[in-house]
This record gives sequence, C-alpha cells and structure tokens, in this order.
Amino acid sequence: MRATILPALLLGFLFGWSLHKAGLTHYARIVNVYRFTDLTVLRFMLSALAVGAVAIAIGGELGFSARVPLPPTTLLANLVGGVIFGVGMAGAGYCPGTIVAEAGEGRLDAWFAGLAGLIVGALLFGLMQPTLMPVLARVGALGRVSFAGLTGASPWLVLLVFVQAVVLTLVLVARAGRPAA
Amino acid sequence: MRRAWSCQRGAPGHPRVGAAGTPDALHQGMRPWLPVLVVCGYLGVAAPVSAQCTSSASSCVTCHETQGLRPVLRSPQPWHADHAFADLCAACHGGDGAAAGKAKAHWGLRSPLADPARACAGCHSSDASARAERYLSRPPAPSPPAPSPPAPSPPTPGAASSDRHAAAAANWILAGLALLLAVGLAVALARRPARPRPGLASWLRQKLWSPYLAGALLGLVVASSEVVWGRPLGVAGAFDKLAAYPGRWLFPHSQYYRYVMTPGITWQVWLVLGLLLGAFASSALSGEARPRWLPDTQWQPRFGPSRARRLVVAFVGAILVQVGAGIAGGCTSGLAISGGAALAPAAFLFMAGMFAGGIPTAWLLYRGRPR
Repeated sequence: MRATILPALLLGFLFGWSLHKAGLTHYARIVNVYRFTDLTVLRFMLSALAVGAVAIAIGGELGFSARVPLPPTTLLANLVGGVIFGVGMAGAGYCPGTIVAEAGEGRLDAWFAGLAGLIVGALLFGLMQPTLMPVLARVGALGRVSFAGLTGASPWLVLLVFVQAVVLTLVLVARAGRPAA
Repeated sequence: MRRAWSCQRGAPGHPRVGAAGTPDALHQGMRPWLPVLVVCGYLGVAAPVSAQCTSSASSCVTCHETQGLRPVLRSPQPWHADHAFADLCAACHGGDGAAAGKAKAHWGLRSPLADPARACAGCHSSDASARAERYLSRPPAPSPPAPSPPAPSPPTPGAASSDRHAAAAANWILAGLALLLAVGLAVALARRPARPRPGLASWLRQKLWSPYLAGALLGLVVASSEVVWGRPLGVAGAFDKLAAYPGRWLFPHSQYYRYVMTPGITWQVWLVLGLLLGAFASSALSGEARPRWLPDTQWQPRFGPSRARRLVVAFVGAILVQVGAGIAGGCTSGLAISGGAALAPAAFLFMAGMFAGGIPTAWLLYRGRPR
C-alpha cells in the first residue's frame, strides 16, 4: 500500500498543476463553457482526451496494460448522473477536481462550502444508493465496455476516428472563437 | 505542442532552431518540455503491474469483468444482474475484494447458494432464505469453463500468427498517424506570432498555459494512471471513501456503508491530496495563492458581494456535483476524462448529460445578461 502513495501523490500533483495552469480554478471559466462564452474547459478536456487515448494505446503496445479500467456503461445512470452533475457545475462553477484545486489556491468558499458539500453529497448519495441504483443501473446496463468492445470494431480504428473528431472539434472551436478577418 | 513525444526518441538528439537560432534559444526551447519528459520517464521506469488486479473497484470486478477473465454480469444467471448495482462480490462470495493477488483474493471463497443463511443474511437479514429459494428454483446456466491463464490478448484476437506482424505494423502506422494529427493540430493552434520564449522558471510562474498544453499534460497523467497503475484518475470516489468514516458512524445499519462503501485512505485519497498540493504549488509560483471568499470575476456583478450567498450556492452546487458523480459512476476526471480516454461509452453519455443539465442552468442564471 505504501508503495502506491508516492505515484498517487505525483499524479495528483501534476493533475492539480494542469488544472490551475489551464485556469480552471475560476468560477467564470467553468460556468462560461455552458454559456459558450469561454470554451477553455472544452479545449482542455478534449486535448486531455485525445492525448490520453493515444498515450493509452501506445502504452498498451509497449506492454504496460492488459487492463485499463473501464467505467460501467449504464445508459440511464450515466445520463441522469450527468444532468445532476451539470446543474451543480453550472450553478456553482465547481466540479470535484476543481473544488480541490480551488482549495489549494486558497479559496475559502471551496474550503468551507465546496469540500463540505462534497462530503455531504457523498453521504446523501450513500443514503439514496440502495434504493436508487438498483433501478437506475439496470436500464441499459452494458457492463464495463469500450466502444471497440461493444461494437467489435478494431480499437485502433475507433481511436483514429475519435482523435480526428476531437481535432476537428478543436479546429472548429478555435475558428469560431476568432473574429472574422 | 512542440516535441511532445520527443521523450520516446531521445530529446537531446532533436535540435530545434530557436527564436534567434542561438544555442541559448535552442536550449530554452526544449526546457518547457521537462515536466512532460518527467512524466514519460516515469511512465517508462515504473514497473508494469500486469500480474496484479487492483482498481478503485474491487479486484473481483477488475479481473472478472474488466479483464474479461470470467465475466458474470452478462451471464443468464439473474442473481449477478440483480446485485450489479455495486461491487458486492465479497458480500456474497466471501474472499477479499481488496487483495491484489489471486490466492489472497480467493481466500475463504464460498458458494453463496450452498449456505444462503450465511451468504445472504448479511444484507437480507429477515428474508434471506426466501430470496435464496427464488434463485434456487431457477435452473442455473451450465457452469462456465475454468478460467484460462491470463494471456495478453492482441488487438485483433482472430488474426492468424502469420498475419500478426502485418496487423501490428498497421496498428503502429495508425497510431502514429493519430498521434501526428493530435500533435500537429495542437501545434498549429497553440502557435502565437513571434512570442519570446520564456525560460523554465518564468514558464513555471506563468499564470496560464495554453489549454491545449495543460490538457496534453493531463492526458499523459491520465494515461500513466490507467496504463501503468490500472486506476482511473478519479476525485469524487475519494470523497465517497472519506465520507464513509462519518457515514458508518451516522448510519450504523446502512448496508451501503457496511459492505459497499467501506471507509479507507485509498489511492484516490492520496491522489486528491496531491491535487491540492499541485494546485497550491502552481498558484503559489504564479502569485495567485491567497485566501479569498468570492470568485475573482463575474460572480459579484451578477450575485453581489454577499459571502453567505456564495457559500450557500457553492455548498449546494458541490452536493449536486457529488451526488451526480455517484449516480453516473464518476466525475469530470474519473469518468469523463479517464473513461473517455479509454474510449468507454459511459464517459460520453455522462458528458452529454453534463451539457444537458449545465446549459439550461447557466441560461436561467444569466438570462438577459450581456455575454
């Protein structure tokens, strides 16, 4: 157990560093992605997704991975959870990671309301879980799958298409943000 | 995005003409990539842990489902689907869901229906035998074959061995192409006209980096976390684990806190501590770390200077975010980015939900306000 503390701390450190350097410790930046007035969050996330997907594939080829963790796909739970998450995120300008990053930056609302809210929210979910999840998690439960695993397509083809879609989105977003010359 | 992947080919061997073409400029041009090099070096040095099974979920799920060694969730037997809403394996089957090795994880394994009083009564204290009867009355599916030894499966399992090399070459070409696209495009987008290159120290002190660069760094962190350590880069899960301490005490009869969410200082908790420190280090270096109650921009013109108002909104928002993450199975980092980088449909469903919830909320809050 102790041997894994250091890599966890290091990965977390770089995670927090990247969040702050992208400017995501600001209320306005998080909220404005939902108003389409500042798409930094989208640029940051899409870059992370594309680079991460390629790096995972390359890491797998290098012999690192037999078991990249896959989240369970449950159509209803993923969607409903996402909607609730989006309401909170657009309302307060928070997601769990940026609350912690804002706390690191010295923001007292994150310390006293954000972190406390995460703990209370976790307790609330703990109370609801036994009645809620057996219902929600059964609709469209596909298991822990990837697109390739679900469709039987080549993972490399999925990767290529995904990266191209991300890059195209980034280009279009950059074009839209630039004033017409 | 210059030379993002130079670590794989030996960074110093690729000279780049700097702004003025001087050795100094050349030197400085390479420097910003130090953190990326560190990540790559770390990726290369850390030993692969393919012999072990650990994740934020129980190791049962990691081995049986994620690695597909002996999947049960999609089997015709109803009890697994009925209990699939949580990592409940150990509650019925015994064993140790936190153990990394097979021998240790399978210690004390039992067949639940052979002794329903013992296996089921932990959760269903009043009607364990009645529930077990229901399952026993159904004809069980033929028992699955013994698990084959875990062999790393190639991307195209059906390929004959003579085609392996050709398939591997095609895969490499595809991967290279995808990488080039990502890097090249990011270079084109991140480029600013004739900007003087900062030295390493001032670069680390910058308040903002290009979001593409910061995102690429996060992408490498996520990949390293998943490929080397087999864990998603989740934040919300850490708070579930921390909340289990008061949760167990507040709700002593909760099955959830007794069997599903047991308290612990896990990998994710250390990750969150690192996240706190990383954001502190970055903001301290750029002179932005200072105590304050309100967001710097946009909040006050819209919602006024009241601290109480901000605290209430922040508190409620944080609760919603954590509950939503619990239902969806992860947060922006643990599900959207970690699952998205692994190309799992769950991540994209979650992101669609995020925008479906966030856009109307932001519209309601900023209705009629200038952009």
